[in-house]
Amino acid sequence: MSRLNFWSAVAIFTWLLLAIFLLLPVGTVLLSSFHDPNGQFTLANYAAFLSEPRFHRALLNTLVVGFGGLAGALLLGAIMAFCISRFVIFGSKFVSLLAILALVSPPFIGAYSWIVLFGAGGLVRTGLRDVGIMIPPIYGLIGILIVFALKFYPYVYLMVSGALANVNRSLEEAAEGLGLTPWQRTFKISFPMVFPALSAGGLLAFIHAIADFGTPRLLGRGYNVLATEAFTLYSAEVGSNMSMATTISVVLIIVSMLFVFLQRYMSRRNVYHGNMINKPIKIKLKGWRNVAAHTVVYLIGLLGALPVIISIIYSFRLTNGPVFQSGFGLQSYTRILFNLGDVVRNSLTFSVMAVILIVLVGTIVGVYVARRTTLNTSLLDAAFMIPFVMPGIVIGIAYIAVFNTGPVILTGTATIIILSVFIRRLPYAVRTTASALRQISPSMEEAAISLGYSPFQAFLRITVPLIVPGIIAGGMLSFVTAINELSSSLVLYVGSTVTMPVRIYLLILDGDFGTAAAMASILLLVSGLAVYIAFRFLGRNEQALL
Amino acid sequence: MTYLTVGNATKQFGVNFKALDGVSVSVDKGEFFTLLGPSGCGKTTLLRAIAGFNDLTSGDIKLGDYDLRKIPPHQRDIGMVFQDYAVFPHLSVFDNVAFGLKPRKVPEAERKARVDEALATVRLSALADRMPSAMSGGQQQRIGIARAMVIKPRLLLMDEPLSNLDAKLRIELREEIRDIQKQIDIAAIYVTHDQEEALAISDRICVMSGGHVEQIGTPQDIYGDPQTRFVANFVGTLNTLKSGADLENLTRNLGLSDVKAETWAVRPERLGLSNPAAREGATIKGTVSKYVYLGREAHLQVSTGIGELVVHIANPGRNAGRAVGEPVSVLITRDALMGFDTNGKRLSTGG
Ligand SMILES: Nc1ncnc2c1ncn2[C@@H]1O[C@H](COP(=O)(O)OP(=O)(O)OP(=O)(O)O)[C@@H](O)[C@H]1O
Ligand SMILES: [Mg+2]
Repeated sequence: MSRLNFWSAVAIFTWLLLAIFLLLPVGTVLLSSFHDPNGQFTLANYAAFLSEPRFHRALLNTLVVGFGGLAGALLLGAIMAFCISRFVIFGSKFVSLLAILALVSPPFIGAYSWIVLFGAGGLVRTGLRDVGIMIPPIYGLIGILIVFALKFYPYVYLMVSGALANVNRSLEEAAEGLGLTPWQRTFKISFPMVFPALSAGGLLAFIHAIADFGTPRLLGRGYNVLATEAFTLYSAEVGSNMSMATTISVVLIIVSMLFVFLQRYMSRRNVYHGNMINKPIKIKLKGWRNVAAHTVVYLIGLLGALPVIISIIYSFRLTNGPVFQSGFGLQSYTRILFNLGDVVRNSLTFSVMAVILIVLVGTIVGVYVARRTTLNTSLLDAAFMIPFVMPGIVIGIAYIAVFNTGPVILTGTATIIILSVFIRRLPYAVRTTASALRQISPSMEEAAISLGYSPFQAFLRITVPLIVPGIIAGGMLSFVTAINELSSSLVLYVGSTVTMPVRIYLLILDGDFGTAAAMASILLLVSGLAVYIAFRFLGRNEQALL
Repeated sequence: MTYLTVGNATKQFGVNFKALDGVSVSVDKGEFFTLLGPSGCGKTTLLRAIAGFNDLTSGDIKLGDYDLRKIPPHQRDIGMVFQDYAVFPHLSVFDNVAFGLKPRKVPEAERKARVDEALATVRLSALADRMPSAMSGGQQQRIGIARAMVIKPRLLLMDEPLSNLDAKLRIELREEIRDIQKQIDIAAIYVTHDQEEALAISDRICVMSGGHVEQIGTPQDIYGDPQTRFVANFVGTLNTLKSGADLENLTRNLGLSDVKAETWAVRPERLGLSNPAAREGATIKGTVSKYVYLGREAHLQVSTGIGELVVHIANPGRNAGRAVGEPVSVLITRDALMGFDTNGKRLSTGG
């Protein structure tokens, strides 16, 4: 009985949490898109969206960068996953590390590094011009797509390589026995098996691509997408148009959601379970094939990690104000130490607070969702999809819309930033716990019960030890996302709550790349540390990063 | 002396699917009781109801004087070997087996001795300190067996505990399991869908199909005197005879015209090739369509007016070989023939 009450309390608490910090803000956004500045009901915002060419272009551009980023990420990620899981690649661990670097690199520092190299006055571009090769600067759509492909390929790579490594070799051997050629085997057996992973990785790439607004803003040069339009409308000093910003947010959400459903529909039938016993072996390639495979893998890995490498190098360059001088030193770091220490402290405290909340609530709700299959838990599961399709900028705008007035005023506080990170990352924690639990066969606990342990003790002694490493690792990875979070904080920050990504963004806009690079390097160091700890607990499981 | 009784057990999944439909069984103290049946017939469901993991929709379960349905599963003191092994991956083989001794407060020294003994029984002593995650299915299965036996429970439930072992180890271990069960004198319910295994180790067998009991009896009863067509078919092989004039002649010759059977059937080893010395029974003419010599036995397939008959001949002599196409007479005795009604129930053939 008391157990039952405990879970009812959990259910009520979870719904309250979702209602206040998710459904209410999102609902407000939805409603405010139907209101004019005087609070009257109107469809004018949507009419404006449909009639103004500026918004058409933004929608079209969003789809173009979304699908372009998706295609690029799929291509690079699938090639890399295939090569690494099927061939012996020298230093494949190092390559995986490069992919992880690309994944945890602070947002849009990538875009800026590419400008440093390939922008109008970029290093590589001017260098090439000196030897007579002219290439166009990287601005516009091409630049955005290159950055997206290289930034988001790790999602596909990590998902697919995990799936490929778990395709039971007996299946492929069986196909071989039936006389299928290696190509047929790949397409008829392996491809359907990895399709869910492929599409899930693609989905992540797509959702992040359409929600990203730092990259189009820095590289786009007039190539506007929905996210940048929403931010512009929201933040315009004069004539800020909140209801139009929310209208665009709604459209953005709809696009994300459609894509989530599409992906679910496409991979609905493909649920396969890996078998850990008969794992595929790696082939050792010979001759030019070997060279080609290594070249491709290292090229993708290094290009993806290039922004990180550039910012680390630039963080040590001497500067005079925003201008780089020749020679190296710790100038940029001392500047952070003396002037921007509170930014670093903000980031650390906010992220730690958010992660504590995420782990606590995520674990309890995860156990609830996995262990009680009721209508309620299915509904909860569905509700937890909402933050997943919610671009950060939309959450930011929604929080401003709700917590600016009314009974609880949170704008300008640290709490609002922590809560926005918490609610966005909570679904991942719930899912991690729930899926870890679902992988533990229920007969495991039953065995303990039949041996004389009470159900609660069985849970404590069998299930908990099995899921704790996953929870700690998940917490570390949430920390990485929390500390790198930009888009919602950018809407929510005030002078005293500036975080590192926000400061990096502002520094780049000011042209102070030296300090930005140093701060990005610190961020990277902290993230790297968290990833390292996570891998210690998980035994190096890159997929957990997703 | 009846120890465990399950009365009228019904388990409903969803609105209109019954995994168990009025199952009643009773198991005596010290008895080795086997549930035998095809996949999906409800064997696991019944075991889980007894162990307490899935309560019945209706019916009752008694162990000794206790109403088991009122006792929470962890206090039932019932050992269970799970179909999917359920070995704890974070504990060593030794700790897995010792796991159930802790809540029973067995002293340290005795605990070690009992675990070692159990591991020796299932041939795992050498692996005691290993972690089970990288072990083969068969090894994990044996951990599960040791873990359930070591606690000397009041009742031992085993859900296909040998399904992943090679033939030799299967036979060895099933003997072991049976010896230990007799030695510690507990009731055991054993699930299998291997008829030979069931016949070899059981005191009594319960044949199930589609959620209900077909027949309960000793191995001899089940094999030699099946009460339904399902049981006859599932345990052992069966020739089902083709109806027609030849079959009517046959039953008349054997004095069975009064038995209004829907189908007639006969086991291959109860058939013989007619020899002049046979005084009882009737013969039916046919031609050999296949002959397989197996050393201890020979299997013949004969085309006759009552269908293709498989005939098993024990100890075929060196000259007993038959050529395909050779005409033979098959001898059928009265008591070999089994008649079943439209519901598949065995009909009495008198005498
Ligand atoms: N939790 C459940 N919900 C719905 N149906 C179930 C559930 N558990 C079992 N069933 C169904 O009940 C029937 C009996 O299942 P059970 O596991 O008892 O079969 P079994 O005899 O043990 O088969 P096997 O030899 O394959 O192990 C099956 O049709 C199965 O699909
Ligand atoms: Mg079963």
